[in-house]
Amino acid sequence: MGGRISRATLPIFTALVVIFLFAPIAVMIVFSFNDPAGRQNITWQGFTLQNYITVWSRPDITGPLLLSFTIAIISTIVATTLGTMMGLALTRYDFRGERASNLLIFIPTTAPEIILGASLLTLWVSLGQERGAPTILIAHIMFNISFVVVTVRARLAGFNRSLEEAGQDLYADGWTTFRKVTFPLIFPGILAAALLAFALSIDDYVITLFSAGRTVTFPLWVYGVSRLGIPPEVNVLGTLIFLIAFIFLGIQAWAGRRAGRRREGPVTMVGR
Amino acid sequence: MTTDRRRWVPYALLAPGAIWLVLFFALPMAFMLLVSLQQGSLSQGYELTWNFAIYPEVLGQYWELMLRSVVFAFLTTLITLLIGYPMAYTIAFRGGRFKNALLLIVVMPFFVSFVIRTLNWKMILADNGLLFGTLKDLGLLDPSFQFLATPASVIFGMTYNFLPFMILPLYVALEKIDRRLIEAATDLYASRVQAFWRITFVLSLPGVIAGSLLTFIPAVGDFINADIIGGGNRDVIMIGNVIQFQFFTANDYPTAAALGFILIIGVMALVIAYTRAVGAEKLTEG
Amino acid sequence: MSRPGLGPPSRIEAAIERAMRRDQISRRAFLGRAGRGGVALGAMMTLPGLLAACTPGSESASLEWANWPGYIDIDEEGNPSPTPYPTINAFIEETGIQVNYTEAITDNEDFFGQIQPDLASGNPTGWDVITPSDWMVGRLIGLDYLEELDLTQIPNLEANAADYARGQSFDPNNAHSVWWQGGITGIAYDPTLTGRELTSFDDLLNPEFAGSVGLFKEMRDTFPLTLLSIGVIPTEATIADVEEAQQKLLGPAEAGQFRGFYGNEYYDELAAGNLVASMAWSGDITQMALYDNANVQFVIPDTGGIRWNDNLVIPNLAANPSGAHQLMNYWYDPVPATILSEYIGYFTPVADVPDRIRQDAEAARDAGDTETADLLDAIAPTVAPSPEQLANSYEDKPLDEEEEQVWNELFLEVRGA
Repeated sequence: MGGRISRATLPIFTALVVIFLFAPIAVMIVFSFNDPAGRQNITWQGFTLQNYITVWSRPDITGPLLLSFTIAIISTIVATTLGTMMGLALTRYDFRGERASNLLIFIPTTAPEIILGASLLTLWVSLGQERGAPTILIAHIMFNISFVVVTVRARLAGFNRSLEEAGQDLYADGWTTFRKVTFPLIFPGILAAALLAFALSIDDYVITLFSAGRTVTFPLWVYGVSRLGIPPEVNVLGTLIFLIAFIFLGIQAWAGRRAGRRREGPVTMVGR
Repeated sequence: MTTDRRRWVPYALLAPGAIWLVLFFALPMAFMLLVSLQQGSLSQGYELTWNFAIYPEVLGQYWELMLRSVVFAFLTTLITLLIGYPMAYTIAFRGGRFKNALLLIVVMPFFVSFVIRTLNWKMILADNGLLFGTLKDLGLLDPSFQFLATPASVIFGMTYNFLPFMILPLYVALEKIDRRLIEAATDLYASRVQAFWRITFVLSLPGVIAGSLLTFIPAVGDFINADIIGGGNRDVIMIGNVIQFQFFTANDYPTAAALGFILIIGVMALVIAYTRAVGAEKLTEG
Repeated sequence: MSRPGLGPPSRIEAAIERAMRRDQISRRAFLGRAGRGGVALGAMMTLPGLLAACTPGSESASLEWANWPGYIDIDEEGNPSPTPYPTINAFIEETGIQVNYTEAITDNEDFFGQIQPDLASGNPTGWDVITPSDWMVGRLIGLDYLEELDLTQIPNLEANAADYARGQSFDPNNAHSVWWQGGITGIAYDPTLTGRELTSFDDLLNPEFAGSVGLFKEMRDTFPLTLLSIGVIPTEATIADVEEAQQKLLGPAEAGQFRGFYGNEYYDELAAGNLVASMAWSGDITQMALYDNANVQFVIPDTGGIRWNDNLVIPNLAANPSGAHQLMNYWYDPVPATILSEYIGYFTPVADVPDRIRQDAEAARDAGDTETADLLDAIAPTVAPSPEQLANSYEDKPLDEEEEQVWNELFLEVRGA
């Protein structure tokens, strides 16, 4: 890669991938302005902004969505923290039980969702634990941990210890070294892992089903309503999520530009 | 820090996550293992009879679907790698201050439910939909062309849905590569292409491995893409669909559980073989 | 009993009227949401009628009701409280029972998977009322997972239920269940794509449509229609009959006759023309013909269609069975039943509803609102099976466990596993 051809090729390719990723989203946004007369929102029947008003009188949709976001945020934070710690332990230390730990972390990714979900349900029932948001949260953290560990390890593999050792000479304690040296080095790995965990959590149906009890999350609601027809307000909420994310991105890029001016071109990444 | 003090550090780092996984994964799964050895029915209840015979039984019955699932998952992994690598490369090396923004863009489609994404894909990919309908109208495509409900469409669906699982780990590995190494390599080797394969690609291998695993593994057990994009067509259903059928429809929990464990063992075997082949056995074997 | 125009306005009617005035259900909600749901405006115009049915409640216990999403009238314009659902608000006002209406049922089988472990181990499920489909009710009864109903607490059932909604094959005396909403499974096709009229189930197996036919992925939908096509009434089917039906499907399936085995997704596949013909649910195709693809037609095969319904039932150890009974009784009052039907348009179990919708249409026409009137007139005939439909449709067979296992295995083979 590199070379004259790829100078143009790569950005074009990336743009195509982004189009690929967003193609169904674009359709979703268009249909958030549809004015369907029937139950189904699959045929264009005229432009309206009405859905953007009626959506606020639909706690049956907004409630599950808010719940899903809450669960996704909390499970992402907890799973990323626990998973990063495990990733650090496994890549930077040699200790007894490493092999068992590796298996314990890896096998959950291989388990079919139905088996994972059903096994948790038997646990809740045998403990007499009522199901709801807390049990969903526990389940999401459980399946997220492994994905975080695998992602973070892609960052830690071949990690250069010399910087940290330098840090240890410089700073008094391990915690400061971690904060000032290690964490910034592995941060992109943590961020990517967190994004992955968030995406997994916000979209989970099968495992959630078994731990939900009387609680309804967004994927559950949408899957269920597809029996009778998905109302356009669902598209509206999807569109608003995108709008908020893009505003967030805009702010971030703007802030990044300012920060970039301050410290131009530091070489922070260390290979093997 | 004395070596003595450091000995407990890895255990302390591991403990919270490990306890979580033992309590909420290993323990329930051990119970599920017992379920797979039970016999009975919903009304009579299931009783533990140590029915190990169920394993060869279901393996014999469904091995073809397992093979198909592995093939579909393999193709999915290959395609996501081919699409994901250049994308991750661009974000890592050309992303500049938009790096994090681009990363978020990669996962954003997943904030709306699977059902919505898929329904909208189906509008685009319908036989006479936005894409193929237009091509057919232009005479560029045979009018009888069909994409949905074919094996290709299932692999397409999985590729779309697992792409972030490939791109994010790839990015993580690529982003840490010291550019000075690449520059030095470019001076050293004749071409940039050579420099790429000998330095960049080699250094990004941890990401390639992690990404392939995070794509391949869930793809093998997937059933929803075969169900919705594949329309449950006879030529596309995967082993995940059978597990779903046995569990939810037939309520044959032992068979569903046995299939699940065969899948776990099979996938672990493939994964271990793969990580050994690429020299990354530390990832799974410690 | 249910003679319109007699007697004082019922308390329920008054409560709904109050609720709607308070919540300002607007005309637009009605017109703009036509088929997805016209709202309750009609009910405001209903002639004062029926006797109040609900026992005035003294208890204030809560009631946990699990239903499918999108299966009830909803007010999208005002902000009704305590729930977005005017009919439920009226029930709450009437009885003092706090209904926690949760749209928790995503699929019969998935829902069963959620509650089965509790029911099997004798724990309460947390629900007071759930809304499963016919065959699932049969399974729940067979496993002894449901509370028996006290029909003396549901006088409206006896008084107002349509004949077709009383005592289904899976529960002949309404000992455990009452009909919530229903429909008919038949076939639908697009004549512009088939090039001819389809009348029989066997048309789905005709090689001229190879690769463009849809079946349902649930055995409970697909086998009974196939059984009818070989001249077997599903409720009388033997294992041998089902084997014959399976053979009938297996050959075409292996030859690639079926594009796929669908759940709800058959709707968009059929509307988009990916399928030229498919098994279908009646209520859906009314919708499709009106709004998504005017070509598509629903027919009950000449050999017969299958009647399906969803039911209100009380799972074992429900905390508020008395409230559950009151809720059931409430839905057999024609006033809320009419509002519900005007909104969601499936088959209602209440006899009087089609007439009441027509009366609402008349009232709207008198008031100069032709649009609403036309709409209501269009809805009225679709909320109950016609005599012809009834004559040519059958009930599904309630299967015992062994039968279910055999039928399932046979069907799995058709699906290609």
